[in-house]
Amino acid sequence: MSLTDLMSRAKPNPVSQKNMLARLRGRGLLNCFLCIKCTSGCTALKLLELKPHEIEKLVNFGFVDELASSDIIWTCATCLKCIQRCPQKASPYHVIIALRNLAVEKEVRVPEPYMKAVSLILESGLAEPIQKVTSKKMEVCDRESLGLRKTNPPKESFQAAFMKALEEKQP
Amino acid sequence: MCHCGLNISGVVDVEKVADYASNLQGVVISRHYQYMCSEPGQRMIRDDIRTHKLNRIIIAACSPRMHEETFRKAATEAGLNPYLVEIVNLREHVSWPHAEEPDEATAKAISLVRIGVAHVKLLKPLKKKKVSVEKSVLVVGGGIAGIQASLDLANAGLKVYLVEKTPSIGGRMAQLDKTFPTLDCSACILTPKMVDVSKNQNVVLFTNSEIKSVAGFVGNYDVTVQKNPRFVEEAKCVGCELCTKACPVKVPNRFDENLSGTRAISIYSPYAVPKVAAISPNYCLRLKTKNKTVCGKCEEACEAKAINFEQEPETVRLRVGSVVVAVGSGVFDASKMREFGYGRFQNVISNIEFERISNASGPTTGKILNPRSGKAPNSLVFVQCVGSRDKRFNEYCCRVGCMVSLKQAVLAREKLGKDVNIYICYNDLRAFGKGYEEFYQRARLMGINFVAGIPSDIRSAIDGSLYFDVFESGTNKLVELHADLVVLANCLVACEDTEKIGKLFHVLRSADGFLLEAHPKLRPLECSTPGIFLAGTCQSPKDIPDTVSQASGAAAKVMDLLSKGEIELEPLKAIVDEDLCSGCRICETLCPFMAIETKSRRKKGAEELTAKVVEAMCQGCGLCGAACPTGAISIQQYSDCQVLAQVEAALVETSHHGGTVR
Repeated sequence: MSLTDLMSRAKPNPVSQKNMLARLRGRGLLNCFLCIKCTSGCTALKLLELKPHEIEKLVNFGFVDELASSDIIWTCATCLKCIQRCPQKASPYHVIIALRNLAVEKEVRVPEPYMKAVSLILESGLAEPIQKVTSKKMEVCDRESLGLRKTNPPKESFQAAFMKALEEKQP
Repeated sequence: MCHCGLNISGVVDVEKVADYASNLQGVVISRHYQYMCSEPGQRMIRDDIRTHKLNRIIIAACSPRMHEETFRKAATEAGLNPYLVEIVNLREHVSWPHAEEPDEATAKAISLVRIGVAHVKLLKPLKKKKVSVEKSVLVVGGGIAGIQASLDLANAGLKVYLVEKTPSIGGRMAQLDKTFPTLDCSACILTPKMVDVSKNQNVVLFTNSEIKSVAGFVGNYDVTVQKNPRFVEEAKCVGCELCTKACPVKVPNRFDENLSGTRAISIYSPYAVPKVAAISPNYCLRLKTKNKTVCGKCEEACEAKAINFEQEPETVRLRVGSVVVAVGSGVFDASKMREFGYGRFQNVISNIEFERISNASGPTTGKILNPRSGKAPNSLVFVQCVGSRDKRFNEYCCRVGCMVSLKQAVLAREKLGKDVNIYICYNDLRAFGKGYEEFYQRARLMGINFVAGIPSDIRSAIDGSLYFDVFESGTNKLVELHADLVVLANCLVACEDTEKIGKLFHVLRSADGFLLEAHPKLRPLECSTPGIFLAGTCQSPKDIPDTVSQASGAAAKVMDLLSKGEIELEPLKAIVDEDLCSGCRICETLCPFMAIETKSRRKKGAEELTAKVVEAMCQGCGLCGAACPTGAISIQQYSDCQVLAQVEAALVETSHHGGTVR
């Protein structure tokens, strides 16, 4: 590759890019002409500085490894506005998810909350923990006090299958 | 064999193919050369025909659409009938699509040459037929393209019938305020032409009219035009507008993009040609109720006694030699793009609406006002590429959006003063024409701000003003813009008439809905149907300079076609073997060009029906031949035995790299 990032001396990695293109089934989802509509409307931009158009461009250039090991790909709020409004039917969302999968495969550190969510799914079958709520009358309610039925933990067969799938992912 | 520079020889092993061909049965000589279409290449063909007394030739080169005529001429010059020339397409069919697989490409080239040889042996010498042509032209559409083409043709002495759907000619250009990049007033340069065309002795103007049917063929088209009733006698109306003042029915004004109102009886625009009122039957109380006692205020007011509620549609039959289609285009409906709020927010307007607001004859008499508050805006934003370069709507670039917004921004700066904030949100600013880049510079010097980024959505604040975020890529900052008025750069789209016109005149349409030219580079003004020419935005989105150029070009093409008084027709047509024809009339119902008639003849005393091909109308498409149950109808040079010989040659067993010689 003939391109060098003079800020970090990094060069694009053609092998990772090829891998990435295979995951995305071609360049259709990277077909970006930088109108920057995605970033203008990105939910994660104001607080977390996610710039979807930058991710599109970097993958097109081949800086896939840098993105896979960066924290920025974990900030996407998956609101899917970028897909809905992209005039070129590109999808920063799909690219980000592919980068996350790549990061997991490469055993790059996955942010804590995501790992928590995984163990929670294993334990309770839910992605978010069941929370207590406070009513207008300042009463703290949980499922029991509201008369809702108990949630069941997932079946053991699910847990086994889940663990097996995780192990298979990690060679 | 032609190398076509490296276009063919870069992929196909031309030497190998030429060598293979020289061993085929019946081949006298086989050559390859760098540019067969060049003069030395053609000379080589002519010399070989003469020296070797060749009676057939095969050119393996580019598509026949490109150079078949060239090689036919070369053969004719050497004394060979031009229809004994076969073209094998090694560029579009072999080297271009198979650039990655040269060995397979060479094998395919060898097969195609073998098929070509099998076909050329069975070709028959044919002669072109001559038919006389009608020296008159139909121009469909009275916009600037139609007007320009009509004027050019009329000045060249041809009879022109100009048909316009609306009650006045002028089209889109009449609606515009000023034109880029010179800022000429649109009406000032258009209206003299409108008057010229209506006064020209050679032009017959049909306004408020539509094409109903088309029959015939190049040089001799029979066209039916329907003049829709205006309910006002054109000869009597003086254009005083007393009727409009008397009419009680308010209707939206189409010419003002419905931003203002007019009456059910009105003159289409302030500079309408002809300046004759028309009643819109959907709104007029009397015409709607069909009750003679209702209203009639216009009839009372008209001093010229021009109102005629009894007017009926009138059909006129015309015979013309050629047709110029100039039906124009529509403007994208931005309400389909929900995120920008067009249709929901009154102060989000389209660029064509801005033209009317900025135009002295428009609803605000040329003052740029916010349609919501009626006040002059303090901050104005233009958003580019609305509906164009967008796979959800139209993939193409609309070609005018950037320059229209630049012009409108400059007009806004001139009219609103230098304290007003003007922004253009763009992704690529395309200022490609003569003087356009200079105009872009001028806009920058006038303090118009360019924001490199498109907003994701536009929102309305409590006070009705608009605001949105946009990520500016030049500065890498997320900025918030507040605006009183947002103008969307809506693209040009194929109007609904293109579909109708396409069907009437057998003009194909490209994937974007616009009418399709015969060749994008070498025949951009004509359709694949002979005698039909295209001008203006019905072919593709374009600006006024390009439209006028294309209109004059189409007019010149028509003159070229009709100047000799007769034309030659290609002989590659369907022919009927009357003895085999059973008169089932399947071909007649299938033919898309209405080129097959039935005739009756007497055979052994009994009456028999047989098909008859109207040669001048037949385009040689072959549909009839494929469908004929008895094999009575076939296409010259593509009869069953000629095609089957090719199939047989195609099926000869070949080794992977090259073929075997039979």
